[in-house]
Amino acid sequence: MRETARRAPNHPDDAETVIRVDGLVKRYGTFAAVDGVSFTVRRGEIFGLLGPNGAGKTTTMEMMEGLRKPDEGCAIVAGFDTQRDLKKVRQLIGVQLQSTSLFDLLKVKEIMRMYASFYPHSLPVMPLLKEMVLEDKKNDRVKHLSGGQKQRLAIALALVNDPLVVFLDEPTTGLDPQARRTLWDIILNLKAKGKTIVLSTHYMDEAQTLCDRICLMDRGKVIALDTPQNLVNALKSECAIEFRLTGTDDACGACATDVRELLLSVKNVKRVDLHNDVCVLYTDHLQETLTDWIALANAKRLRFADLRTRTATLEDVFIRMTGRSLSE
Amino acid sequence: MNAFFQLTLAQLRLFVRNRQVLFWTLLFPVFFMVMLGSFLNNGNSISLTGAIIDEDYSTQSRALVESLTRHAAIRFDVEYDKEKAIEELKRGDKQIVVVIPHGYGKSLADYGLVEQFEQFGPEENRTVKVNAYYDETNMTVSQLALAILAQTVDGISKSLANYTPIVSVDAVAVQSLHLKYIDFLVPGIVAMMIMSNNLNGVAGQIASWRERGILRRMQSTTLNASTFIAAQITARLVLNGMQAFIVLLIGDIFFGTQMNGSWWLLILFVVLGTLTFMSIGFIIASLAKSPESAGPIAGFISFPMLFLGGVFFPIQNMPVFLQHIVKLLPISHLTTALRQVMNVGADLSALWTEAALLGCWMVVAFAVSSFTFKWE
Repeated sequence: MRETARRAPNHPDDAETVIRVDGLVKRYGTFAAVDGVSFTVRRGEIFGLLGPNGAGKTTTMEMMEGLRKPDEGCAIVAGFDTQRDLKKVRQLIGVQLQSTSLFDLLKVKEIMRMYASFYPHSLPVMPLLKEMVLEDKKNDRVKHLSGGQKQRLAIALALVNDPLVVFLDEPTTGLDPQARRTLWDIILNLKAKGKTIVLSTHYMDEAQTLCDRICLMDRGKVIALDTPQNLVNALKSECAIEFRLTGTDDACGACATDVRELLLSVKNVKRVDLHNDVCVLYTDHLQETLTDWIALANAKRLRFADLRTRTATLEDVFIRMTGRSLSE
Repeated sequence: MNAFFQLTLAQLRLFVRNRQVLFWTLLFPVFFMVMLGSFLNNGNSISLTGAIIDEDYSTQSRALVESLTRHAAIRFDVEYDKEKAIEELKRGDKQIVVVIPHGYGKSLADYGLVEQFEQFGPEENRTVKVNAYYDETNMTVSQLALAILAQTVDGISKSLANYTPIVSVDAVAVQSLHLKYIDFLVPGIVAMMIMSNNLNGVAGQIASWRERGILRRMQSTTLNASTFIAAQITARLVLNGMQAFIVLLIGDIFFGTQMNGSWWLLILFVVLGTLTFMSIGFIIASLAKSPESAGPIAGFISFPMLFLGGVFFPIQNMPVFLQHIVKLLPISHLTTALRQVMNVGADLSALWTEAALLGCWMVVAFAVSSFTFKWE
């Protein structure tokens, strides 16, 4: 894992490093939720923690925020240790927690003023609300806000102390596509203003759209760390052919192992993924493989539907590295 | 300082805007007050009824009957059948039966009068007898009735003997007999409110805030735990003060409850009670693994206190072994203190034990709560 981290283009000069995480371990009983995680976050980038539920993203973030004490290792934010100089760290970071609920009965501007009062230095509340497209909601109670508005308020609260680093833990989970896109714009806007953002997500499209670098996590470990493009390119020129097997005219071709064997025999196929009746063939030579597969299907009288081809995505990277799907 | 102000303000806004909670927390005590206050005895005196049987029917005996029936604290029915009256006494319908025997009036001309209880048997004949029958199994009430009888008879006795008292009885003691049940009840209701608001309120709210991640979110800022707790305390003191004031106001307007003591002392005990039960509430919030379990735990602690702590019934009416336990409970000291201040007008020198014991509870509970408090 450390090797992965070192292999990745992860050697910034120190002035550019805002967060350094070194060998973080968090155990619950014998189970290690975070199992030796190391990486650095550079100034001004959007750093993504991507992984399925239970990968250890939230626990890792909470140790960076000083909300959880690591069993081993340390997290340094802007030169301050999150365990020794917690107070200084807290002035420098803004936090949006996964599924935080706010006081339902307070008005938007009241809750903003309250959080602003917690800090020795804070920003004026109204411009922040304007920035988060919440200006006309300032007199509304929190419980009357939509999911997207609540999430924007949570981000506004995270910005109220003008932090150096903003932690966003699954900010778009549970939002409709429109609200997600609005939030993406806001997050990209924050980056444009020079904030360093650490973001966790289990949506690969979100990671691919937003993040400058992605730390791919699984079962408490870092399995890859690179730019989204490099991660995808690591699968070389690999393409995926995806289709759904709907049945066969032949009585003998039903068994799954037979199907796998058969698909692997298609020209230039490197790997095969089978999920129920959905098949994915990975190949370096799209045209040859596709031609061969159609010929084979015709010969074997296999029927398929929903055929499409695509270049590899982060999802494919994750499956390649863990053998499992991100959404599992 | 700003954070403290904002948090206090936020908490008060939450109280006021949560209409339902506000309504029910106020309705509950008022409901109890109206129910028990008017229903139990028409809002009148402590329910003592007695029977007088005037076997003599002379001027003197009628004067005694007159002065007894005039007594506010006990209602005397004039009856004629002694057997029937004794029967009522046994059933518990009457607390005392007074019999003025034949020759009472005649004897008064010659002798001083001493009341004499049937229990002790006939005494020397030169004293005039008034017989009192009472139920031994209900000593507290009987004692009160006997005391009233003795007081009245004593008065007659003294006036006959042209006796001028050298030592007079403190008027307060006599006045306490004029207290209505509502006077007993209202301080108890205030104590109950303080207990349930803080114990159940704090436990439920903090446990729920913890569960919902609200505390965690605050923990990630530069906010100090002490500022947070101080704001909680201040907001709840304001709230409890207001609620106690409303209950006292309703008691005053609709039931004419007495307030004989110092308001400052009353406020002191309201504050002391609030702090004590808040601290216990914080402990419960730390013990509870979920907001769902905070309620039952708080109920387990507050419910017995509600019934044992002298909120509705005088502690003296309980079995002796229970009294020892009850006297350790913080609610007992709070109810006693509030009652003494309101009913009797006791000052701090009379209530220092209550203040000290409540103070002990507060210090211990606060120490434990600050030790066990956790943000997550």
